Amino acid sequence: MSGLRQGWLVARREMRERSRSRGFRAGMAVMLLVVMAAIVVPSLLDAGKASSDVGLTGAITDDLSRAIVDHGDAVAMEVRVHRYDDVAAGEEAVRDEDVDVLVVDARRLEWRGEPDEQLGAVVTGAIQLVAVQERAATAGISTDDLAALVAPVPVENVELGRAAGRSSDDDLAALAMSVLLLMAITTYGNLVLTGVVEEKASRVVEVLLARMPARDLLVGKVAGIGLLGFAQFVLTALAALIATMVVDSFDVPAVRAGVLAWIVGWFVLGYALYAMAYGALGSLASRTEDAQSVAGPVIYVLLACYWASLVAIDHDPASGWSQLVSLFPATAPFAMPARLALGAAAWWEPVLAAGFTLAAIAGLVGFAGRVYTGAILRTGPTLKLRDAWRGTVQ
Amino acid sequence: MLELETASKRFGALAALAACTFAVQPGRLTGFLGPNGAGKTTAMRAVFGLVELDAGSVRWRGAPITAAHRAGFGYMPEERGLYPRMQVREQLVYLGRLCGRSSAAATGTVDTWLERLDLADRARDRLDALSHGNQQRVQLIAALVNDPDLLVLDEPFAGLDPIAMGRMAEILTEVAAAGATVLFSSHQLDLVEDLCDDVVIIDHGRIVLAGDLDELRAAFPQRFVDIRYRGAAPDWSALSTVVAVEAKDGEARLQLGPDTDPATVVAIARCTPGLVSFAFRPPTLSELFRQTVAA
Repeated sequence: MSGLRQGWLVARREMRERSRSRGFRAGMAVMLLVVMAAIVVPSLLDAGKASSDVGLTGAITDDLSRAIVDHGDAVAMEVRVHRYDDVAAGEEAVRDEDVDVLVVDARRLEWRGEPDEQLGAVVTGAIQLVAVQERAATAGISTDDLAALVAPVPVENVELGRAAGRSSDDDLAALAMSVLLLMAITTYGNLVLTGVVEEKASRVVEVLLARMPARDLLVGKVAGIGLLGFAQFVLTALAALIATMVVDSFDVPAVRAGVLAWIVGWFVLGYALYAMAYGALGSLASRTEDAQSVAGPVIYVLLACYWASLVAIDHDPASGWSQLVSLFPATAPFAMPARLALGAAAWWEPVLAAGFTLAAIAGLVGFAGRVYTGAILRTGPTLKLRDAWRGTVQ
Repeated sequence: MLELETASKRFGALAALAACTFAVQPGRLTGFLGPNGAGKTTAMRAVFGLVELDAGSVRWRGAPITAAHRAGFGYMPEERGLYPRMQVREQLVYLGRLCGRSSAAATGTVDTWLERLDLADRARDRLDALSHGNQQRVQLIAALVNDPDLLVLDEPFAGLDPIAMGRMAEILTEVAAAGATVLFSSHQLDLVEDLCDDVVIIDHGRIVLAGDLDELRAAFPQRFVDIRYRGAAPDWSALSTVVAVEAKDGEARLQLGPDTDPATVVAIARCTPGLVSFAFRPPTLSELFRQTVAA
């Protein structure tokens, strides 16, 4: 009987049982709805604002009226203009929501509340254009000359960043990943924790350990919950992608494939490292009520490492500190992807860091397996880590 | 054959097992006896590697126990427990597969046992939807899912009603008769006496008695005379060979000193005026237990 097969059986049971629970399904459905709503709803609201009404009063030429409509067309905004005999009538129309803005004497814009930026730009642009045309005519400049005079100079935006070769999308992806990893570790690490405590509390663990080593049981559990979390993540990402394509609200960030591969890889390593620690400490508690207090140390270390990585990288991704946190196993899953995205890491650094982290995971599997075996059959008050390690308690 | 050889385990200052040596024979039922805290559970856990021995070894068919051996063992821990929210049949098949059996083979065995223990109609229920008695049956099946060569049960009769006890006894006898090695612990000495071929008695981590029950009883130096009589009980304690007397309602049990000449039994009979019947007997398991554990 190979440990791999037993581990896989454990992982499969975790996925099957957990995905069947009503709470899990309801949570998943709510999450999908929230993600899709977050993407679709804003664009639906925006769509409603595609047409605007502009009130005009006082000294306003027909040229300006036409220019406002043309400027709206240029940014795909349908603008209807309404003329009012005096300011009072116009202001009443603003208050009654008949128009979005009132243009007084081509010099003042009156809004009901806060100005609408886009509409403001359209109207202001039209006023400027008409004013320039009028001044040009007064100065005897022909329309063609004027066009040549004010023709825009193309200006290119280039992001240099702190390191050469990185793109802002990589940057965004790395930041999003570290937040996601923190969320994934706390969510799924907690499932590992409560799963271990539940098995101990229900005493089923003695039946299981009579059949398989604690190490394989723990690795199987961590893998099963991890795969389930990954499936949940992929499903959510797909839902987000579909929603994005349907409403065409924003571009999917273009991340370099190499950076993306590392991000996914570090995600897996980070989860495995912390989930294993959760599992080991979970075995010290006998009751589900004690689970959170035994997991305290992991949570503190996790938050401290996340914070340390963020601060070091934000300060200078090429500094010695940043290099250190991106190599140290507990901080590497947060720091290394960020440094990669910022282009601040040499090719060998992520390889070395991954090696360190893998070694740490292997060490933790051994450590967790021993603590688990030493602690899992002892019920009663919460155990001390040292006693579980030594196996000196009955 | 299962063998423990000078198995020792300390938990801090407590010696849970002190150089324990005993063997459990295949095809026979072996009762594992001892007061609470004597080391029974620790010894049983050592068989499954749940307790790491400080010294000594546990051997199966002459070789140190490996994971492959354990795949063919069945175990029912003292503290019962399975996944409360998992379906009965699925859970049992899972446990069978953890022992290395194919899905089909495990399912076949599970279905046979569910049918036999009248649980076939509860197969798709969650475990926690079952009554306490039915959960106990599921726990027994969990120990049998791999048709084990070695079956170890920690207090299998605890908490069972008389009918369930009868059924458990029947199943254990049957499994042993089929050639398996069966070891179980119990505090119900009368039941063990009725059921077991062999016993192992442990006290303070030491094995104080082990072997064939009939032979152990015969080899024990103490003898007892069971007397039925009419009228008042005579004063047997005056006889020098009588060590102890228990008399009540026309029945008495006299304990004789070690290696008593059977002729003294006749003297006892003579000094009992209203004698109805008398018998010269080896000790019961209960007496054997009290003598060895108290000593």
